[in-house]
Amino acid sequence: MPKLIIDNREIEVPEGTKVIKAAEKLGIYIPRFCFHHALGAVGACRVCAVKFQEGPVDGVQMSCMIDAQDGMKVSTADPEAADFRRSVIEWLMLNHPHDCPVCDEGGHCLLQDLTVAGGHGIRRSKGRKRTYTDQYLGPLVYHEMNRCIQCYRCVRFYREYSGYSDLGVTGIAGRVYFGRLREGILESPFAGNLIDICPTGVYTDRPSRYTGRRWDFERTPGVCIHCSLGCRTTVSARYRQVVRVEGRFSQQVNRDFICDRGRYGFYYADRPGRPRNGRINGQTVSAQQAVEEARDRLQRITQEHGPEAVGIIGSARSSLQTLSALVHLCHTTGWQGPVFRNTWIAGAAADAAVRALSPENAFSMREIETADAILAVGADPVNEAPMLALAMRQAQRTGAEIIAIDPRPLDWPFDFAHLACRAEEMEETLASAAERLSASRRPVVICGTEITDDGIVMQAADLVAGLRGSDKRAGLFCTMPQANSFGAALLDESNACAADLADRIETGQIRALAVFESDLWHVFPDRSRLSTALEKLDLLVSVDFLDTPLFENADIGIPSLTVFEAGGIYVNQEGRAQQVRPAHTGGLPIAAAGLGDHPPRSFSPDVPGRDMPAAWAAAFSLSGQAPPETDAQMTAWMRDNFAVLADLAHMEADGVRLFAGRKVSIPDEAQIPEKKPDQFLELLPAPTIFGGEPMSGHSQCLRELAGLPAVWMARADADRLGIADDDRVSLGFENIEVTLNVRISDPMAQGVLVVYRHPDIDWQPAPDGKRIFISEDQIRRIEKA
Amino acid sequence: MIRAVIDIIVSIAAGFYTTGRHLFVRPVTESYPEYKRPLPARSRARIILTRDPEGRERCVACYLCSGVCPVNCISMQAAEDSQGRRYAAWFRINFGRCIYCGLCEQACPTSAIQLTPDFEHIRRDILDMVFEKQDLLVDLCGKDPDYDFYQHAGVVVGLAGKGDHISENPPVNTRTNMP
Repeated sequence: MPKLIIDNREIEVPEGTKVIKAAEKLGIYIPRFCFHHALGAVGACRVCAVKFQEGPVDGVQMSCMIDAQDGMKVSTADPEAADFRRSVIEWLMLNHPHDCPVCDEGGHCLLQDLTVAGGHGIRRSKGRKRTYTDQYLGPLVYHEMNRCIQCYRCVRFYREYSGYSDLGVTGIAGRVYFGRLREGILESPFAGNLIDICPTGVYTDRPSRYTGRRWDFERTPGVCIHCSLGCRTTVSARYRQVVRVEGRFSQQVNRDFICDRGRYGFYYADRPGRPRNGRINGQTVSAQQAVEEARDRLQRITQEHGPEAVGIIGSARSSLQTLSALVHLCHTTGWQGPVFRNTWIAGAAADAAVRALSPENAFSMREIETADAILAVGADPVNEAPMLALAMRQAQRTGAEIIAIDPRPLDWPFDFAHLACRAEEMEETLASAAERLSASRRPVVICGTEITDDGIVMQAADLVAGLRGSDKRAGLFCTMPQANSFGAALLDESNACAADLADRIETGQIRALAVFESDLWHVFPDRSRLSTALEKLDLLVSVDFLDTPLFENADIGIPSLTVFEAGGIYVNQEGRAQQVRPAHTGGLPIAAAGLGDHPPRSFSPDVPGRDMPAAWAAAFSLSGQAPPETDAQMTAWMRDNFAVLADLAHMEADGVRLFAGRKVSIPDEAQIPEKKPDQFLELLPAPTIFGGEPMSGHSQCLRELAGLPAVWMARADADRLGIADDDRVSLGFENIEVTLNVRISDPMAQGVLVVYRHPDIDWQPAPDGKRIFISEDQIRRIEKA
Repeated sequence: MIRAVIDIIVSIAAGFYTTGRHLFVRPVTESYPEYKRPLPARSRARIILTRDPEGRERCVACYLCSGVCPVNCISMQAAEDSQGRRYAAWFRINFGRCIYCGLCEQACPTSAIQLTPDFEHIRRDILDMVFEKQDLLVDLCGKDPDYDFYQHAGVVVGLAGKGDHISENPPVNTRTNMP
């Protein structure tokens, strides 16, 4: 461990530490543009120069390029080094345009900060400035190359860290250019990180362009709820509206970066169609009136028909507060439910995963980065949990072998062996692939829960247990369908699904239904059955922050707060409960209140639209109970009333891990999937990155990226059916007729048609737990006009 | 006793003398509002938003004036027009709160916001002291009459292409390795 002296203070650092990092440990910040702790050093910007006064290195040198060594004496404030740095800034500014006032980076720009810090105020050069032509890089990232200072951070992130190759560097000498070979949409679903990582304004946020300066934003630590990973974010809000979401460093979860779904998926919160008023039989009322009416009518039905006549449905996109309030609601009133299982494919796999995970075998994303072999079963991280793909990429960069067992076509940004197989072959393939982990020391098994069943999850857990038994540091990592799937499985006592309630509605047992933050139209398998069932109801109450078809059709609609207004606790797929604080006070955004022009010219202490309840508060009110008054009281109430949540008292910066260990529940019998009949193809609905979950489909910028709805098939199947890439086909099954574009992929399972979820696909070919087979003659090729 | 009386008379007379003397001197009082003294161009009173020499709005809604304002009386919302030009969708100054310190004018990078010598804009209703963009915008350049920020900024907003603005080289060709 070398010992060195920086600014007269001694420090001992591990072998291989750069001087710039050693100084950071002492709290000395050496200026830098190109150095980034996730990307490493390249020595491109020359602004981290320090003076080496004694020891093996002599003179002014770049602190990011030199390893700390014994006997070094370093001065950061030496006049020679300070002068050098000042000149570097001045020559970087030679070509930097005079456009800070119209640059969105202004206010949080590293170049701006260091220019001011270095004292460079007046331009001395009389020369003309270099210019570049910019490129259109898609709906997320805005390109302005004039501002570039050639630090190479963007290409290092894009190509090396995240593994995509369509953004690169061209030109030589004073003409170095960062962009795509041809103008076009960036392919990486992590492209938004370029905005965070660029030390100046070459890449800026396009959707939130010109909305404000960072100093005006209310910046709150948040947690992303667009997949089950629970990445840390910083939410910027202004004028009662979320304007930008950025990645926030977390040691255990996402490290520095977030995916584009997490960054741009928030637009559902403030779009014009969001319900902000209550509705009773189509009439607009205040939210409070709607709550009271729902409470009275539910009580009347309870008195007339007994508590069994009321059913409660929740969903895993709700906070832990809402889920526990729903459980409590059913406990105190005797109402049926709550039912949380309304994902596309039954929650059995997610439930099995929650039971299989324990403090010993549950790995975090940090541990995946250091794995030396990864086996992914039925998991498509890029589409299901994008940041996991980035963690796997880091493992692959350090030499890990990655094996994927999946029927879908996989497009991952790193090398991997794809064992394409159908669902019924998965078990066998997993068993044979397990041998390939025998040489590794730190293997990880990643298991998806959306297209797999509980049998595969248990098999994966057994495999991990076996590997741990043979002295390996093996871990299990399960992705889950929604942000709070883990929390819902912890609290789910009924193990019932929405179909069970539908049965009871049809027999007339259930006469009223209250649905919390769930759109049955989107998750229920059989639409015609659902609509007849809902028509039989005496009362349908919908509590939601999205204007779902269910909310529109409900007898009583109660608008609820989003995570940005209500906060909440979300349990990610490894059991990590993370607290989200509200990002702003809520109420109608200023932009909406002023109808796009200036805010109303009136003084009033009231904020319009602030009477909406959080979903958990609405749940309390429906049973006539007063909800806990503050968030802290609510958390305390949850700890006291639910044994599995008692550990919430130990919430730390990195969250707190909750496990189902104490839950006494017998795992369901593992089911072997029914075999695919000959001459039939399996239709496999699969999650997708943009617009695949209920919220991000409301972001206009992500809808642009979602492309057209398509069906993917293996080349052998396509050849047999006489279908070519880019053809249009019509699929007819179960009274549904849909037209989709065809994409042909080579490494994917034969006999499977993969349809990725898409905001424009409004049908649900996913009967709960059942597989869908369509015969070859139900696939019709449509001649192009 | 007599001495005291004399003192009183003398002091009263002295007072009347001082006052009476001014009957024969030109008064220094300016009778405002009949007479309005011309104020120096740099006196700081009512704020305006000026236009560039071509008559376009100078304000780019960069938030520097609202950021620097010590009493937070300026608020705005930036927006982008079809040409890519950044402008203020709305811009509001609450003159009920403004202290006319002039920091906004100093901070303004485009010479858009300027303080004028017009101090007579008191209103009876406090809400009338809240000026919106249309109340602030004038049809002249004010100080710095030749300055057009976008000619120097290098961003393309429909005035000229890349490399055509003041003191710019034409865009580099990144596809050649020739020196």
